[in-house]
This record gives sequence, C-alpha cells and structure tokens, in this order.
Amino acid sequence: MLLSVKDLCVDFSTQDGTMRAVNNVSFNIEEGKTVGLVGESGSGKSVTSLAIMGLIPDPPGKISQGEILYKEQDLVKFSDAEMRAIRGNDISMVFQEPMTSLNPVFTVGDQLSEVLMLHKNMSRKEAWEKSIELLNKVGIPNPKHSVGKYPHEMSGGQKQRVVIAMAIACEPRLLIADEPTTALDVTIQKQVLDLMLELQDQYQMGLLFITHDLGVIGDIADEVVVMYKSNVVEHNTTSKIFYQPQHPYTKSLLACRPSSDHNPKRLLTVSDFMDAQGNPLTPETSKMEKVEKDFGYDEEKNPVILEVNDLNLHFPIKAGLFRRTVDYTKAVNGVSFKLRKGKTLGLVGESGCGKTTLGRTILRLLDPTSGEIIYRGKNIADLPKYQLKALRSKMQIIFQDPYSSLNPRMTVAEIIMEPMILNNIKNSKKERFEHAQWLMKKVGLEPEQLSRYPHEFSGGQRQRISIARALAVDPEFIICDESVSALDVSVQAQVLNLLLDLQDEFGLTYIFISHDLSVINFIADEVAVMRQGEIVEMNTASMVYHQPEQEYTRTLLEAIPRGVPKDE
Amino acid sequence: MENTIKIKSRSVWSDAWDRLKRDKLAMVSLGVIIIYAVVAILSATGLLAADWDQKVGESYMAPTTEKISLLFGTDIFGYSVLRKVIHGTQIAMSVGLISTLIAIPIGISLGALAGYFGKWIDEAVVWFYTTFSSVPGIMLLMSIAFAFGKGLTTLYIALGLTSWVGLCRLIRGEVMKHKNREYVQAATAIGAGNGRKLFIHIIPNVIHLVIINASLQFQVAIKSEVILSYLGLGVTGQPSWGTMIDDAKQELAQGVWWQLAGATFAMFFVVLAFNILGDALRDALDPKLKGK
Repeated sequence: MLLSVKDLCVDFSTQDGTMRAVNNVSFNIEEGKTVGLVGESGSGKSVTSLAIMGLIPDPPGKISQGEILYKEQDLVKFSDAEMRAIRGNDISMVFQEPMTSLNPVFTVGDQLSEVLMLHKNMSRKEAWEKSIELLNKVGIPNPKHSVGKYPHEMSGGQKQRVVIAMAIACEPRLLIADEPTTALDVTIQKQVLDLMLELQDQYQMGLLFITHDLGVIGDIADEVVVMYKSNVVEHNTTSKIFYQPQHPYTKSLLACRPSSDHNPKRLLTVSDFMDAQGNPLTPETSKMEKVEKDFGYDEEKNPVILEVNDLNLHFPIKAGLFRRTVDYTKAVNGVSFKLRKGKTLGLVGESGCGKTTLGRTILRLLDPTSGEIIYRGKNIADLPKYQLKALRSKMQIIFQDPYSSLNPRMTVAEIIMEPMILNNIKNSKKERFEHAQWLMKKVGLEPEQLSRYPHEFSGGQRQRISIARALAVDPEFIICDESVSALDVSVQAQVLNLLLDLQDEFGLTYIFISHDLSVINFIADEVAVMRQGEIVEMNTASMVYHQPEQEYTRTLLEAIPRGVPKDE
Repeated sequence: MENTIKIKSRSVWSDAWDRLKRDKLAMVSLGVIIIYAVVAILSATGLLAADWDQKVGESYMAPTTEKISLLFGTDIFGYSVLRKVIHGTQIAMSVGLISTLIAIPIGISLGALAGYFGKWIDEAVVWFYTTFSSVPGIMLLMSIAFAFGKGLTTLYIALGLTSWVGLCRLIRGEVMKHKNREYVQAATAIGAGNGRKLFIHIIPNVIHLVIINASLQFQVAIKSEVILSYLGLGVTGQPSWGTMIDDAKQELAQGVWWQLAGATFAMFFVVLAFNILGDALRDALDPKLKGK
C-alpha cells in the first residue's frame, strides 16, 4: 500500500469556536492507481490533500486525530524537516491555478532546475538538460527554446504542463492534483488529463485527483471517494459510483451535470435528493422529463429585438518609441447575428476567442470599431455615452466571478436598490425596498438577508444577488457572461434552473456566454461557436451538437468529459 | 420596512473593528492616544496647564514629588516643566491633526482623479507630484516657513502641504485597480455615471488606506514639528516639545536633564502608539492580509 489515510480529522479554530473541516476520512491509494476525491467547495477535500502534504497551517489548523501512512510511516508524526524531504520528492502536488503557482520573475527552466538541484543534487547544467527533457515529456513544443521562456509567455494549458513537469521532476510515488483542470478550457482539459494518465502509467505513480466535477473523474479514476460537509458519504469503485450510487448526494452530483445527449426540463439538484437533515428524498420525475426544444419561432411572439451586423472591435497594438500603431488585435471580427425575444443564444468558444468582448461591446461597455448593433430598430453602436442611460434598463449583464462583481462595502439592499434609483424605478424608498424583497424571493433568497453584506454569502448565493440586481431594472435581455463557470456543478445546476424559471416567468432573452458546451446545450436555443473573434458556426443547439459542420466544433465536442468510467 | 427581521450583520468595518479589538497592544496604543488627545483638549480649553508661564519655584529645581507641578522640575525661569510638557502635547496633537486634515483631502482628490480618469489628468497629476516630491522635504518646509513667517499656522500649512504625496500615489494605484473590477463594470451596466462610480463605489473601497495612512502621517507630523521647532522654524513664544529640546542643549552641560527627558518621553510614547496602531489598522483593514 502506497498511502493509507485512516480516520483523519482536521480541526480549525475560528473566532466562533472550533470547526471540524475533515471528519474521520479514510481511504487507500495503491501504486499506479487513481483515487478521485469529489465534493463541493468547503467539503474538506482540499484540506485532506493539504494534510497529506503536511501543509495545514498551524495555527489555526490542526490534525486532531488519525494517521496518514505513507509506505507504513505515519506522516502526521513527521517533523517539518522530515516532511520537507518527502514533499516534492516522494509526494508532489499540482494546484488549480497555473497562473499563480509559477513564479513570474524566473524562466520555467530556472524553476524546473531549482527543483532538481534541491532534491536530486544535480549540477546546474545537468538540471537544465533534464528540464528540457521534462518539458519534452509533458508535450511543450520546441522544449529547447521554451525552457528559457517566462511563465507569461506561455498559454494557460502550457503553464499547467510546466507545473506538472515540476511535480514529476523527482519521479514522485504519489501525485496529488487539486482541481488541475478547472481553470482550463475543455480542449486543454482533455489534453492535460491525457497527459497525467500517460505519465502515471509510465512512472506507476499513485494519483489522488481532487475535483468538484464527477464528470471529469469518470474517465480517469479507479476509485471515487465522495465528500460532503467534512465527511466521506460514499466510497466505491468508479463504475459502482456511476451506475449504482448509494448516497443521495452522489446521486445528485451525477444528475446535476447537464449532458449533451439528454435534455431535461430542469436539472436535478441536491435538494431533490435529500432534505436539509440529509434524509433521502425521491426526486419528482416531472423534472427529469426529456424535452424537445422548440426551435421554431413566431413572428408575433418572438420578434427580432437585437440585430448585430458586421460588428468589429480591433485593439491597436502599439510599438516603438513613439507608440505607433503597428497592427490590430481583432477581438471581434465581422460578427453578425439576430436575437429573438424569449430565446437564448449560446456563445461558446475557448478563452481568448472574443466572446466576452463581444458581450461587453453589445452592452456598449466597450466601444466598437465599426458595425451596427440594432436594438429595437435603433442603431446603438455609435450612440454617445449620455444617451446610453435609457438603454441600461433594457439590457443587463451577469458576470462570471460572484466575488468581484458585488461591491463589498454595500449591503445587499443597497446593491439591489441602486439600479432602481439610477433608472427612476419605483417612487419611494419604501417601494424600492419592497421591490427588493420581492426580487430576493424570486431568486430564491430570504428577504431578511437584505441587510447583510456580500461576503456573508456563498458563491451561488452571490450569483443570485447579481441576478436580482440585473432584474431590478426589469430588463428585456440579459447577457450572462460565464455566469455559472465559477460555481460548483451542484450549485451551477441550481443557478441554471433559476435562469430558466425567470425566463419563463418574465419572457427574458439571454445571450449566454460559456466555454462549457454541455451547459450551453442545456440552456441555449441557438448556438454560435466563436474562434479568434469570428463566429465560425451558428445553428440551433441540436444541430450544432449532433451534426456539427466545422472541424473546430467537432474538436470542442469531443473534448467534453464523457463522464463514463474508464473501464467501460 | 416594518416587517424586516433584524439579523446581526457584519460590515467590513465592524469585522475590522472586531479584529482590532482582539489586538491587545493596539488597544493599549489606542488608549494612550486617547489620553494624549484628552490632555490636549483640556490644555486647549484652558482647563489644564493654562498657567505654564507662572513661576512655581526657583530656577532649575530638580524633579520632586512634593508638588505635582514640580514633578518634572522647573526650567531656567522657574516654570513647571510638567505644565510645559502638557502645553507641548496640545501643540503636537494640533499640528498632527490639522496637517493631516490638510494633506488627506489633497491626496485623495488628486489620487482619485488621476487614477480614475487617467489620460492627461493622470499625466498632469503624476508630473506635479514627482516634481513636488523631488524637492527635499525639509527644504520645502523651511522655504514655506520663511515665506509665511514663523508660527503655528505656518507649521500647519507647511506640514499639510508637504505630506500628501505618499497618500496620493497610493490612492491613484488603488483606484486604477478598482475601476476595472467587475462590480464597477456592473455599476456602468446599471447606468451609473462617473461621479457615482467614483464616490459611491470606488472610494469606499480604498478609504481604509486613508485611515492607515493618516495614523502614520499623524506621528510624522508630530516629529516634524519637533524638528522644525528645534531648528527655530516652528513654534515661538510658547513651549513645545521641540523648543524644550532646543533649550536643553545648554542645560545638559549643567546637569539639567529633566526638560529634555520630559519632552522626549512625551514624544516617544505618542509616536510609538501611533506606529503600533497604524500597523494594527493595516492588519485589521487590509483585505489582502485577511487570513483565510
């Protein structure tokens, strides 16, 4: 047995007393095997991995009970110096965010060499040679040249490959990967997952893979440990977890992820499977019903409200002493489409394809270089700033990051009432407050929580507040810019359901921007695939998914994790 | 609003106050500062040490516990050193307060304008403060003191006008960072204008830096007052810690140490308290250091 975690408990002391982050967690990892650790944020999965690495900050954290046996030695009893020898050498770790796990002031070669010189006592020259070999192994193109690059000169996927190269530099016996692909695009995610599997096979490492998304883990794990509120609720082989889940939480995790081959009316969420006390419930079957989307439209009911014609946004690239414009970055390049009332347009593409820029240009948060944005028969593309105010109540946006899109110094009431004040909606403070209370109920929050501040809410709740703010002006259409990407899958399903409920109730029109094709397939009527500032394919959702015309669309579709156990 | 149930809600400010309260040393420092402030107010209103220019005994009497006014001894004229220290506290605190109150509005407004509007406004402000700060501070202070004549008012203005640059730089950078945050873009999307974005959204998110900066600025001003008065450019005609230290130059040779000791200790404790409080405020208010 390579690693054996027995009855692990980790406590954190906070100002409100001691909180147990990990409670009686046990699992084993054998050489060459992969164990998936699944749970939502705050479930204790990352704390478990930090405990194995001996990285629990003490204080406030403390391993209060249990053993972590690595090759029959208890790591809990190790001193800091002994732990340092193990860390990076025998056990190493890949973190979620490749942007912050590399030091920006050193070249990737320096950083790789440092690991090798520290743990393998190599000379600088040997370490440099080995670094090139490692970069080659993780599939970095032209490793001899790339070894001298700085992290900012590489793409996100390449950076994550470098981080993996650092992790495997000393040929560790155990690799811990904490959400290594969450920050990456689907196509890159697939490549990184394939690479990790290949390396594991080659070195016969044990792999502990931590994620909030069961879909990712299906392809790679031998066993899955499901954590919920600090406890392990289910532990079984991957195929058992996928085909015969026992615990209601596991069932809900499997059900809440939209998949491309069946389209339910609403996604099932944790609350459909268990109540607040954790007692299992039987989900209502009506929700699971497959719906055939109606891709037709009615000129009366679904008139064209927004038409974008040959829209361009080019950023000048300036160079030289006098900062002359030498070239342009074509962030949005000749984009045209029509949007009908009550429908949802899905905008999909990899990061950097211009989908976010397009969304912000339509709202005139950015100014287009040329082209037309016709809203209800009026071209708003070159409307001066002061005339835009009237439009603000018609078009709204919901941002990606629920942590930075709400002003931390304002109460929720102030946040939701601000757009009403600015757009002269409702007459008195009392009416506005009542409207805010009504909106809170609509987005599934308690009206009593209006007096609280954003930091007192979870990510999903904050996203609901953003939705309430957008709805406060009674808009006609809303741009959802990666609005569910930062959320756990289980929370993502709740927010998607909410957006659909609101669409039914208020006849809202959405432009839904996402890099996740399964989410787009679930929510959108029409899909536009963007690449390098251009729309390469646009069709109804089912056509794009089942009969894609472009090679690029096919690549994107193939990269979606199938969510099927690997032994199948 | 009648049907609202009151839930205890913690703003960023009350959170910070909770953190600050748990820092014992910071609370002691705050206590020390409050005592100094009370002494200064009592002195300014004439309730305490108003009679500093009355003889209480012979020239250069050593400290004794016989009478409170003789606790720190007497100076060359037989005036009570304790009363002079108390009067000096009033001068020091008023210089700290008023010069900080002059510096802060300049720092915030120029910094916020430059950071928010950018372009030529930014270039003008940056040019102005780089030029301004390239002149050595003490030179600037001396020239202002010579131009306006000596006295307390000159001190307030001189110290106020020379200490806004650091804050201005800080605010400019923070405003630049915040104006691209999504919550500010969200404000644009709901129709907020420049004024609203700047004053309602951005400034409340950077104002904690002003508080940290002010607490550190305060003690710099106190020290500057002492230095200027020592150089004979500051307070005249009434005792301040600086003039007391200046007097002590000659006295020390005669073994008279109490005037120097009184002024130095008085200054030491308040400067130390402001430094500790400034650091504690930074820990309590700066969200980046907020432990996870």
